[in-house]
Amino acid sequence: MPKPPKKTPDRHYDFGSLNQIFAWSSVALLGVTLWMVFDDYAKPWKRMQAEFRSLERQKLRAELEEERRQLDQEELAGVREQIEAERAALADRRDRLSELQSEVTRLDKKIYAADARARTTKSILDTARYELDVAIQKGGEEGEAEARHRFEELSARYFENRTELEALQEARAEAQREIALVREGLVAAQGRLDGQLAALDSLEVRMANLSKKLDYFVLNAPLMDFIEPDLKIEQIILPGLYQDINFTTVERVDRCMTCHVAANRAGFDGEEWREPFRTHPRPDLFLSAGSPHPYSTFGCTTCHGGLDRATDFARAGHSPVDEEQLARWKESYGWEAQKYLEMPIRPAGMSEAGCVGCHAGNLWTPESEVQDVGREIMSRAGCYACHKIDYSAFTDLPRPGPALRRVASKTSPGWAYRWIEAPREFRPTSWMPHFFFQENIEGEVNEERQRIEIAAAVAYIWDRSERVEYPAPPPGDAARGRAHFETLGCTGCHLIDGEAQRDQFYPAFNRMHGPNLVRTGSKVEAGWLFAWLKDPQKYNPDSRMPSLRLTDGEAADLVAYLMSLRDPEFEGLDVPEVDAELRDEMVRHYLQATQTIEQSQATVAAMTPRERDVYLGGETIRKYGCFGCHELDGFDDAKPIGVELTEEGSKPLHQFDFGHVHDVPHTRHDWIQTKLLRPRIWDEGKERVKDYHELYKMPDFGFSEREARAVTVNVLGFLEESVVAELRADAGPDAAVLAEGRKLITRYNCRGCHLVEGQGHAIQTALESVDMLPPNLASEGSRVRSEWLFDYLHDPGAVRLRPWLGARMPTFAFSDEEVNVLLDYFAERDGREAFLSAAERPDERSRAVGEVVFGMLQCAKCHPAGPAAAAGGVVSAGELAPSLLLARERLRHDWVPGWIKDPQSFIPGTKMPANFVQKRDGTWESPIAAAIDAPMFSAQKRSMLRHFESDEGLKEFLADPDRVTVALRDHIWWNLR
Amino acid sequence: MTKNHLFSLLALLLVLPLAVGCGGGDGAPETEAPAPAAEPAQGGSGSIAGAVTYSNGDPDQPIAMDADPKCAEMHADPVYTQKIVAGDDGGLANAFVYISSGLEGKKFPAPGEPHVLDQKGCQYTPHVSGMMTGQTLIIRNSDETLHNVHARPANNPEFNQGQPFQGMELERTFSKAEVMIPFKCDVHPWMASYMAALDHPFFAVTGEDGSFSIEGVPAGSYTLEVWHEELGTQTQQVEVADGAAVEANWSFGGGDAASGL
Repeated sequence: MPKPPKKTPDRHYDFGSLNQIFAWSSVALLGVTLWMVFDDYAKPWKRMQAEFRSLERQKLRAELEEERRQLDQEELAGVREQIEAERAALADRRDRLSELQSEVTRLDKKIYAADARARTTKSILDTARYELDVAIQKGGEEGEAEARHRFEELSARYFENRTELEALQEARAEAQREIALVREGLVAAQGRLDGQLAALDSLEVRMANLSKKLDYFVLNAPLMDFIEPDLKIEQIILPGLYQDINFTTVERVDRCMTCHVAANRAGFDGEEWREPFRTHPRPDLFLSAGSPHPYSTFGCTTCHGGLDRATDFARAGHSPVDEEQLARWKESYGWEAQKYLEMPIRPAGMSEAGCVGCHAGNLWTPESEVQDVGREIMSRAGCYACHKIDYSAFTDLPRPGPALRRVASKTSPGWAYRWIEAPREFRPTSWMPHFFFQENIEGEVNEERQRIEIAAAVAYIWDRSERVEYPAPPPGDAARGRAHFETLGCTGCHLIDGEAQRDQFYPAFNRMHGPNLVRTGSKVEAGWLFAWLKDPQKYNPDSRMPSLRLTDGEAADLVAYLMSLRDPEFEGLDVPEVDAELRDEMVRHYLQATQTIEQSQATVAAMTPRERDVYLGGETIRKYGCFGCHELDGFDDAKPIGVELTEEGSKPLHQFDFGHVHDVPHTRHDWIQTKLLRPRIWDEGKERVKDYHELYKMPDFGFSEREARAVTVNVLGFLEESVVAELRADAGPDAAVLAEGRKLITRYNCRGCHLVEGQGHAIQTALESVDMLPPNLASEGSRVRSEWLFDYLHDPGAVRLRPWLGARMPTFAFSDEEVNVLLDYFAERDGREAFLSAAERPDERSRAVGEVVFGMLQCAKCHPAGPAAAAGGVVSAGELAPSLLLARERLRHDWVPGWIKDPQSFIPGTKMPANFVQKRDGTWESPIAAAIDAPMFSAQKRSMLRHFESDEGLKEFLADPDRVTVALRDHIWWNLR
Repeated sequence: MTKNHLFSLLALLLVLPLAVGCGGGDGAPETEAPAPAAEPAQGGSGSIAGAVTYSNGDPDQPIAMDADPKCAEMHADPVYTQKIVAGDDGGLANAFVYISSGLEGKKFPAPGEPHVLDQKGCQYTPHVSGMMTGQTLIIRNSDETLHNVHARPANNPEFNQGQPFQGMELERTFSKAEVMIPFKCDVHPWMASYMAALDHPFFAVTGEDGSFSIEGVPAGSYTLEVWHEELGTQTQQVEVADGAAVEANWSFGGGDAASGL
């Protein structure tokens, strides 16, 4: 049999192989299609949501079990039984019930008909009234009489109709009442049961919503999940918050909640919950609807950074905090660095940088310690003195260091040389940084250059400094001086501790406000110190140091004590001899900026060695920017030398110079933090390439890890504007008033001694007893009159308000403007007007009752209320509280009654006791009303009764704390004068 | 045709892993239900007794009450601070001894009768004492002068109540355990009292001779602590068996004694 030909002549292809090609390619196409569907479907966030769902189910299951266990089964059974019993009882009365119900139905019909009748009559009546009116107008008695007759007839019918309707309504209400009465027991029992089961029911409903039934699989299946899937992207559009995408800004659209499912839900904050399934910390502050940062307004990326639209772990811009986290993320989530994402999510520990942009102008963020600490460090270390930072916390501030215009009167050049060389060796807590002998200074020649620069700077400063000869102070007693130091209030701002480290004081900086006075005797002249203590502004008009109004004796004792704090290592010092030739070369280097080499040589040759030192000193001061912190002759208009930091947190990463350093991760925060800890690190490997004068100059502040992190958080938070003004915390005039006040309070270190907005009282660590603490300034704005406070802040020495305190309120060199800023601040913080209208004159009765109650409560036991007590060594009980003779001048009249009623609510911990007892239900009990009938108070009662019509009237008055406290105020205001 | 069947099978095989892959994510461990709440526990039959001694017997200091003449009038003889009251044989009074750990999770009912703190002769009586959380505290002023009761607890709410009339009483309770709660009178700065609030009844204050005893202790292993207002605290471990009496002694002031054991 012949084989059929392989190819038929009319075709050039073979059906068999073609079929195979078609078959294979359709398989491939199907495969690709499925792959596409799968790839589109299997997003990582879906796995997250599914996982969370199952975890949440477990949680609910546990809660359900717990709820069932908690339910008192016995009681439940009791209630159920009761319901059964009620039902049975109801069955007995079923006839009556159905009778009543049909009665109601019958009455409803009748009421309907009666109502319709009444309405009809009413409308006819209205017509009749109109006709009557017309008839009267027309005149004609007959017509009027007829119309009136009809009107009266209809009126009577309307009255009948209404009476009928109301009777029917009453009958229906009666029937309803009876039905309710019959059913009452059952309804109540059912209500009790529902109440007990309410929590369980709601849990069961939630459980049902989460259970994976068929509909779940259908609705979330590939290609079906466009209808209404459970697993879906959660996104929120945030008007007013912008994201910078090259050359334009767009509104943020956050999708973070797609994976961080529970962030805005309560109850997922236990140990067992891990990210991304945890509740956001502090829901009272973040995300929840009632918080200051609701999710619907602020979203997530505004504060955290990251790519708002991303739904993929890596693309969102998660930043690992360390190598270990990085490795874990790579493995679990396929993490990779996002080269083109300018603002990645800030890593753990840096999150609070997100607050800075809106809160930096507010000053004080008690909920975020790291921000407060960082801001304080930056203002005390004086970052703003070299780097412009355009936030109100860092603008219009005085120079952070002391003025050096008269320093030659105070100390010696040898000491100054040693100090500049290494300030922290003399004073471990100093904010003066180390400029010299840093890690980028290598080789003998460069080290000699450093010595030359220091010596030259000292030469310049001494050359320009005024020199005042101070007479020797009167002799003093060091032991007494020490006691003064510890009691008068110096310790609110100064430490004397050679071992202290700044770190140990955070977040309370206040005791480091002034210099640590260790080794003072080896630094200053006694004559200068005496003059300084007596009047700091005479030496330096801009000094923040206040006067404590010391007597000559006190000042002399303090001088004796402080001058006894010596360290031989820092005495008898001289400025070392330096290499003159190298110095001249450095002088020529600066001259050559404007001169030829030859000219510079001639210029140097014409200068004396002293002139060369002074010239080089000026250039050195310019180079290191010393004038940023210190007022120095010749540098009044010099511009700060550092780069501006106002938008440092938004600076593109590629603009940060990591030099040859490869072991520091290339992120903004790592760069900033490393720079703070090792300011010259980026010169590593470049020391030999760079010219000496090109080396980095940023000084070393000796920051600890903690300090560096706090500063980094703040600098990282200095961002380009991306939040509209109305959402910013520091916007608006009220915020500005508070911010200005807080700035002054920080500048003058009020919190060193006082408690302001819950922080301060730093002096406490140096006092023996909390009873010696200067006052808590909570509610100061509601408490004192601004007029009085104005005078007091200018001259606190005029009156000794709290004679029992050792610490004196110092006299600060406040300007009127500064005092007014403080008055406005206190008023604003308490939500009060700065000035108050005068108290109205009280009636006779209030003054009289006030006087008697004042005596009964023994107020004068602690408050001086008469002429000053005889002077004596013993602090008598009568000097334990402010004199009431000052009250009218000093206090706001509307504050006093509330204060007497409940002092603790104004100032927690106050020595002023409450005289009324608050009961559990919140009402107040007046012990005076209860005691007035006692025989020992019969005279008092008689004298008060004269002002009342009855015994009850008096009792009623005395039982009302509000009236009694007003009466006490009236007595203090109008009788004690 | 058999080949076509094969291909559709292949296609199915391709789809299958997808379907399996989609159902995942349910593998997290189940959380365990929490343990049932503790039943009110009963005391046991063990007891702890002993004495606290003090070797550097500085004498107690007298108080000058001149600041309030009413107080000074009440005393013919000098009044002492009661800070360090040590007998001739070294027994230290006013030391507070209690079980500081080992009773966790057990609940003890608070006694129905109130604990009383009296202000008499411008001094607090008792100077050192203990009570239970939830127990009523009655603070009485037996003096004919103004006192204010200023309690400064660390964990419980602070209060400061004036008591201007003789015989006045104030009721308070503490809901959280705390050792010790200082009481003071701002009018009379020398007045001080220290009160412990505990959630169990196993505490005692040493008497004049420095001795103490704690009865009805359930069997168990406990940390026992002694507190003294001037001398600080010391601890030791005790094993209490049913019906057994355990002895625990302390001494303050000596070199070795400060370590506690």
